[in-house]
Amino acid sequence: MLAELGNILIAGIKFGAIYALAALGLVVIHKATKTVNFAHGAFAMLGAFGSFLIVVHWQGPYWLAYLLVPILIGIIAALIEFLILRPLRRADMFTVVIATVFLGIALGEAFRLIYNTELLAVPGMFVGAPFVVSRVFVTKETLWVIAGALVTALACVMLFHHGKIGRGMRAMASNVRGAQLCGYSVDRVYMFAWFLGGALAGLTGVFVAPITGVSVELSIAVITAGFVAGVIGGFDSLRGAILGGLLLGVVESLAAAYVSSAMKNCVSFILLFFVLMWRPEGLFPERVARRV
Amino acid sequence: MIALRVTDLRVAYGQVVAVHDLSLTIEAGDALVLLGPNGAGKTSAVEAIVGLLPKRRGKVEFFGEDISAMNTSAIVRKGLALVPQWRELFPTFSVEETLIAATTAADKREPKSLESIYDLFPVLQARRQQLAGSLSGGEQQMLAIGRALVANPKLLLLDEPSSGLASGVMRTLIQAIKRIRQSGVAILLVEQNMEIARSVGDRCCMLAAGTLAWQGPMQEAIKHDEAARIYFGDTRA
Amino acid sequence: MSDKRFGFAGLGPTVFILICLVAGLALDSYPKYVLAITIISMVIGVALVVLVGLGRCITLASGSVMAIGAYAATLSMVHLGVPYAAALLLAILAGAAAGWLIALPGTRFRGHNLAMVTLVFQSVCIILIREAKWLTGGAEGIRVPPPSIMGWRIASDSDFLIVIGVLSALIVLLMTILVRGPFGKNLQAAAGNEVAAETFGVSVPGYLTAAFVVSSAAIAFAGALAAPRIRILDPDSFGVLPSISMLAYPIVGGMYSVWGGLLGGGGLRVLPEFLRPVADYQELFFAGLVIVVVMFFPGGLVELLRRGSALVFVRDAKRGSAPIPAAAASPIAAAAEADASQVLLRVEGVDKHFDALHAVNSANLMVPVAGIHGLIGPNGAGKTSLFNIISGFLEADQGRIEFGGTSLLNLRARDRIRLGITRTFQHVAVFGQLSCLDNVIIGRGRNAVFHSMQQSFEYFIDGPGAVAARREALVALQAVGLVDQAHSLAAALSLGDQRRLEIARAIISEPKLILLDEPVSGVSESEVEGLRQLLLRINAERNIAMLVVEHNIPFVAKLCRTMSVMGAGRIVAEGRPAEVIAMPAVRQLYFGEESAA
Repeated sequence: MLAELGNILIAGIKFGAIYALAALGLVVIHKATKTVNFAHGAFAMLGAFGSFLIVVHWQGPYWLAYLLVPILIGIIAALIEFLILRPLRRADMFTVVIATVFLGIALGEAFRLIYNTELLAVPGMFVGAPFVVSRVFVTKETLWVIAGALVTALACVMLFHHGKIGRGMRAMASNVRGAQLCGYSVDRVYMFAWFLGGALAGLTGVFVAPITGVSVELSIAVITAGFVAGVIGGFDSLRGAILGGLLLGVVESLAAAYVSSAMKNCVSFILLFFVLMWRPEGLFPERVARRV
Repeated sequence: MIALRVTDLRVAYGQVVAVHDLSLTIEAGDALVLLGPNGAGKTSAVEAIVGLLPKRRGKVEFFGEDISAMNTSAIVRKGLALVPQWRELFPTFSVEETLIAATTAADKREPKSLESIYDLFPVLQARRQQLAGSLSGGEQQMLAIGRALVANPKLLLLDEPSSGLASGVMRTLIQAIKRIRQSGVAILLVEQNMEIARSVGDRCCMLAAGTLAWQGPMQEAIKHDEAARIYFGDTRA
Repeated sequence: MSDKRFGFAGLGPTVFILICLVAGLALDSYPKYVLAITIISMVIGVALVVLVGLGRCITLASGSVMAIGAYAATLSMVHLGVPYAAALLLAILAGAAAGWLIALPGTRFRGHNLAMVTLVFQSVCIILIREAKWLTGGAEGIRVPPPSIMGWRIASDSDFLIVIGVLSALIVLLMTILVRGPFGKNLQAAAGNEVAAETFGVSVPGYLTAAFVVSSAAIAFAGALAAPRIRILDPDSFGVLPSISMLAYPIVGGMYSVWGGLLGGGGLRVLPEFLRPVADYQELFFAGLVIVVVMFFPGGLVELLRRGSALVFVRDAKRGSAPIPAAAASPIAAAAEADASQVLLRVEGVDKHFDALHAVNSANLMVPVAGIHGLIGPNGAGKTSLFNIISGFLEADQGRIEFGGTSLLNLRARDRIRLGITRTFQHVAVFGQLSCLDNVIIGRGRNAVFHSMQQSFEYFIDGPGAVAARREALVALQAVGLVDQAHSLAAALSLGDQRRLEIARAIISEPKLILLDEPVSGVSESEVEGLRQLLLRINAERNIAMLVVEHNIPFVAKLCRTMSVMGAGRIVAEGRPAEVIAMPAVRQLYFGEESAA
């Protein structure tokens, strides 16, 4: 009984760590640029696809995927910021949301056309028998995903809160005019935020590829999970996004095991609905400071 | 040497013309006061000069260099700093982090040390670790000035530093602005408060409805009560 | 004036569908099928014009709503043996219910949160349909029984085309009536400028809910019409991707008119049939198309066609200025000289804090019946806060506000118009997408959701109510000198004229008090005097009292009979303008301590 719960929790944390990474990318872009990137799921899908190309198609080493894919997706994201979001900077939120929604579709379709197939399988980084600790099973791959995703996420939080580039993004998030008066260029900070968000999405894709494979549906799954996790965390808090991702993963896993597997997807709806209606500031908001 | 030369500046929001063909110059090390009633276009003018608002037409030169087409961060990095009317601080940044962030604007110049800012406003040193959002109004204004100053600018634009402040704090600010000026920084001060205006400025420009209504030495402006005429209209009518 | 083309133009979309239907009867079997499905997409396009275009709500749940309609009809036929006609009605009800459900969170969120809520609604619906195998047949799908209406078995391609065409034409007619009538205008106003809309009694949540309900009912109806044509329903054909494609209909076609929905829905649906060789690229093409449209042609296809036709046909530039019925044109008979000593608006001891800032500090203020009272003060003095408390957009911490004996506290902004209070805005808040005439008609304040739906039918047949409303609006426009611009879009006016339009909108309901929020800010020097004359004339002819907040002191001094000066949250002086301006306390407020001497 307890062992079963242990297995469920570990599976939940594994998904949760990936959700956390997805949410983090969304939140970084939103915090710095006030844009919710609905193409984020498609970025992650492209990341998974990149992983497939490197590991399966070209038979390259797995670490190369972890290294190259985030950089490439980051560059693609920065390019998209430059080509599409920058001209729309003065447009209202309605227009921007529509643009990123259809951008996601376009990227997904581009993939489907290149590789005319429904689902591409990607092997895990590690193979081998799981460790068994009092009937709780843990594979190396699971440990790698949990540790890798969480360490990257925490590193990103550190960069954001203590690094020089992070300071620019936080200044921009806090007050765009003030940040400009401190010498930060909107163009450069926005582009970097998109690069970072894109890189996180790409990394999400590499981590998730062995679990789900590569398909167009992946992009919807990632954007939904990332968005819900972000909302749970307050959408403007990086730490909140990580906690929100873990919470969502664990709750989904519990619901799938103890209620029904169909409930798994309904959980995210229920969480999103209740958080938005009753705690729009999220369950883990950042310390609240007075408006200046 | 001319620090700032503005020629035929026009600023408009849609159809609303906020500043109508304004021209003015500031000599290096000089202090100019921009006076005028609410809605006269003073804030629009200084924000357009630093590129926070788009210019419809006109030219802005900073030490001979045309900066009309540059964006704000580039202008600020040239050494033209603005203390904006609403301060525009970062509520979640500590005092110290705010000042560190602002050294970015020094670009290739040597930034001022944080100590020199704390020397000007000792209260900021005591509040070093406090979040900007939790400071009092006067302290926030000091931080906003410190933030502009830490990048070692050659010209400082101050937009109504007195607004919403008690008179005690105002005296501190006047002293600080005088010291900044003595250190060789040119100043363009936007003010409604005559007390600050006369103790800081030598020359004065008065704006009304977006156009230059009067300019001349500060003493003249006070003597002839020019401001009252522009603010209240001809009350004898 | 009565515009004779009004009714005819409103019939256009319906007639267009009927023409498609008749022409289609001559086609082969497969084109008939395609045409029927295309007409259904047109209905969806028009339904989304209501929600996405006029209401500016992003929905990614259209697929699930269509599924709800299709399944509601099919299941009631399969399990309950309900006839097709009744099943169609059930589908409409189910769709309306779904729309209301989405609107619960939908009216609270805009932008990305709304998009996400609808996306999750969409996913959950499809999961539920897939899981409820005992009811819906699950993922394998369910066979739709062949429909019949009053004994007529609908079997051939022509039969289907006729049923789908006629019923679609009908529902499009209903939606056209709503879109072109007061309902559509008010919805656009609610989405365009919430504050202004609420001021004139347009409930923003009410209208957005109605938009969700109307558009979802229509989409569900379209789903139920399509069901027998598709023959086997399965949940995955109503998935997220179809939902997103549907969102493209109004955007590509043009978001603000019924024609946009028709062209977008029809065009995007039928295009792949002609582009067979590249059908694989259609989704990519559509997505790219939408991005190009939102970036470069926000008006969509309709706007392009309009511009194109404007190049070809040189329009007769302006309709002659509308003649106004003589009786109505005369100014409202000067009412009996009002008793100026009577108090209309009384503000007592109003307090407002923002955190540590004491924005309004026990302020008192009084506006007499038919008086003009000014409120001035330097930046940050608290004028705007006090003004917003009086107009109902800010709650006071303490104090009393009475208007003709009624307390205004705890009264929503949109309810003030019924008491006879209207306002203008510092940043002009005209409804830019609407004509001047429509702007002023909204100012009449009779804008409850159901009332406006009812009125839409009246306007469609150009009934007496519509004619009367137009006449009143023209009189108000004439009073401010804008009658020549009655049919221009408000966004196209100069700033001074937009201010005049706001005044016309504020006086049409014959209020007792107008709150004027910086009526001349940004207006060119030459227009200021004209506006002052206009306000004085309105005050004299209509006995409307005014409370004016303004920075331009010479203007206020010449306009008002009494005025108050605010400084640091307090009222520091009040009285006649010339006396107030001469007070040392006032000079000190503006120029600092020393100059007071």
